[in-house]
Amino acid sequence: MKFEFKFRLECDTKGTNGTAWGLLLCALAVAWLANRDFAAMKVPDTIIPAANFEEHLLSEWFAPLAGMPLDTPVYVQNGKEPGGSVLVLGGTHPNEPAGYMTAVLLTERARVRRGKLCVIPFANRPGFGHTQPQEASPETIHFTLPDGSTRAFRYGSRDMMHTLDWPVPDIYIHRASGQRLSGNESRNLNRAYPGVPDGTPTERLAWAIMEFLRKEKIDLAFDLHEASPEYPVVDAIVAHEKSIELAAATAMELKGRGIEIRLEPSPKNLRGLSHREWGDFSDTLPILMEVANPSQGRLRGRTDEALALTGKDRAYAKAAGLGRLFVPWDENGKPLDMRVARHLTAIMTFLSMMEFFVDENKVIEIDGLPAYQELVDQGIGKWLTVGNTENH
Amino acid sequence: MSLLNMTLIYRGIVGLILLLVLRCLFDEKDFWRQATAALVLIPLVLRLLMLK
Repeated sequence: MKFEFKFRLECDTKGTNGTAWGLLLCALAVAWLANRDFAAMKVPDTIIPAANFEEHLLSEWFAPLAGMPLDTPVYVQNGKEPGGSVLVLGGTHPNEPAGYMTAVLLTERARVRRGKLCVIPFANRPGFGHTQPQEASPETIHFTLPDGSTRAFRYGSRDMMHTLDWPVPDIYIHRASGQRLSGNESRNLNRAYPGVPDGTPTERLAWAIMEFLRKEKIDLAFDLHEASPEYPVVDAIVAHEKSIELAAATAMELKGRGIEIRLEPSPKNLRGLSHREWGDFSDTLPILMEVANPSQGRLRGRTDEALALTGKDRAYAKAAGLGRLFVPWDENGKPLDMRVARHLTAIMTFLSMMEFFVDENKVIEIDGLPAYQELVDQGIGKWLTVGNTENH
Repeated sequence: MSLLNMTLIYRGIVGLILLLVLRCLFDEKDFWRQATAALVLIPLVLRLLMLK
């Protein structure tokens, strides 16, 4: 009681106009500092595209996106010989770095010999401007380049930026089907396909990607993801019925090379996802791929850049020992280098199967990319382009 | 209601609350209550300008 009395006496300080102005200035200073941090997170990551890539914006295929934060770079490279066309979409969920780093590597290293390669590395660009609430995710991940310099890339959020797409409804109704999902899925790009041209920002972005697929007559399209190691659909290919044969052949080829991967058919009654709606609403063969990312999982311990890069976590090692995971696990964890290598190798294997399972005139041949073991051994940094990209 | 109209109404409400908190800050005679009002101002400023 004595302590409380003394404390109260010391705290009973008179407030005046002067103290009010002082406190107001302090509050504005704190708001300004916070704004500086938030604004820095919205600066887009730099990509140094390989020679022969044309750089476009998605708004060229859906004009209403022009000038909006939703607009995102699209890289297109045509080979000397005609062939098929492929789209690689990264960054649907910006907290799944293997997806967008695979797309970045393709953009920086690919040399197309035959056919056309299109890459959208940061599909949900606004999602890179913030992190997922209550997840304590790192804001950036860094890679060391061969010359010793580093390049940073954002680690964002699964959702569209909340200052752009709001309010969040209690229940999200998928417009094309009437399917009802939890309200927070309203900001999930991979629940918004085939999109709505005058819908919410997320629906408009989904529509723009569909327009790209239709107008460019994309033959094969990849949506690259990551998921928690305890999630059943992980280290997996999810394929629409149109692409299931191609996917089965690819999965067998990958297994033959020692890369374990499971094949899941796209459920017909789960709507809004790329592997379902891309196939239903365009002529493309859609493929979604997942790798295991412990920094997204519910069992993880400390969440930091090291976890995102190395995938090492004691809790996951223990869970694996108890047989609770759907993927093989060892003391090496699931490094990002390996997760990207899986995506990249799977894409290249798909392309090699096009000739046999789609059309011999739809062949796509790409050089300049690392093989699986090269990427695992040398790391992503070895394959990123050295240049002035210091933006974080 | 369009997103633009909704945003304008939302920002109007935030602006009104911000003005009321400012009034509280200057009317209040206790320093610690003034400090509390100043703390409340920070997120309101960030929301009004749609920075966060």
